[in-house]
Amino acid sequence: MCGFSAGVLQVVPLVKSFSCCLLLPLSAFIALILEQKSTNDFDIISAKKAVMIGLFTGLFAAFFGSCFEILITFITKQNDIIITFPELQKMVEKFPVTEDIKKEVLYLFQNVRNDILDKGFSWMYTFSLIVNDFFIDILFGITGGLIGSQIINRRINNSKYN
Amino acid sequence: MKIRVTISILLAIWCIGFFFEWLIPLNEKLLTLLPFLHQTYSLVCHQEKVKLITSNRFESLVCSRCAGIYIGLLAGSFLSIFKIPHKNPNIKVLLVCIVIMLMDIAAYSVGIYHYSKLVAFITGFLLGSVAFSYFYNGLIQLLIEIRKPRSN
Repeated sequence: MCGFSAGVLQVVPLVKSFSCCLLLPLSAFIALILEQKSTNDFDIISAKKAVMIGLFTGLFAAFFGSCFEILITFITKQNDIIITFPELQKMVEKFPVTEDIKKEVLYLFQNVRNDILDKGFSWMYTFSLIVNDFFIDILFGITGGLIGSQIINRRINNSKYN
Repeated sequence: MKIRVTISILLAIWCIGFFFEWLIPLNEKLLTLLPFLHQTYSLVCHQEKVKLITSNRFESLVCSRCAGIYIGLLAGSFLSIFKIPHKNPNIKVLLVCIVIMLMDIAAYSVGIYHYSKLVAFITGFLLGSVAFSYFYNGLIQLLIEIRKPRSN
């Protein structure tokens, strides 16, 4: 559920502008709390369990995030690449590099942009999106799981000894 | 020691990644990687233009607050090489850092003051540096659990 929510929050226009590096770790943390409540097990959380919950939160976020992004791009034939393309052109122009390199980069993105505008789908964009989503979401999910378990365990220890 | 150095190196690579634009003049072919990295960091930051760290025409790939969090984590990891993080860090310190950061977000959101990159960076840095000890302890606990022989 937390992974799904994080995946949606990463994709939905406007909402995603609030996304932050804390979104996925926070989702993993909430997933740990929900797991404790659903199993009624309020004992110390093992690091292995925290990693597994973080991993699955990241996996779900990446899966739903990628699926929604690909679907929205396919239906609307619009996405961040199309919207930010003029900005990308300006950005590339500011670098003190040769014209050939600039042309090469812009040509690459022009192809992706044209594919999306024509068909609503680009193999290169989809591939980079999936690789990015899965790598980053899983990494941040696991990190959130580890940090979250430490915070929850500290709270449990504090309440035990107080 | 090995694990703390490894974490520091990985975090340093991640931090260099969001200052990637500054590296492009060193090797112009790096420019081809920039859009890909832009997409990578967009997953973990809104990348609002006014909130990015800028210098010498170049912009960071994450906002000031996110940069602060990551550099805070990096600073925590560097310190951990010389001094092992406390096994039971005080949770109140973490809560105070979270509250300070949330207060900054709330204050500029309701218009008490304008967004400040420096304040955002510092609040992020505080949270990142404190959060590192939790991450490190979690990782150590994980390694202990993996290495521990299974009891029947």
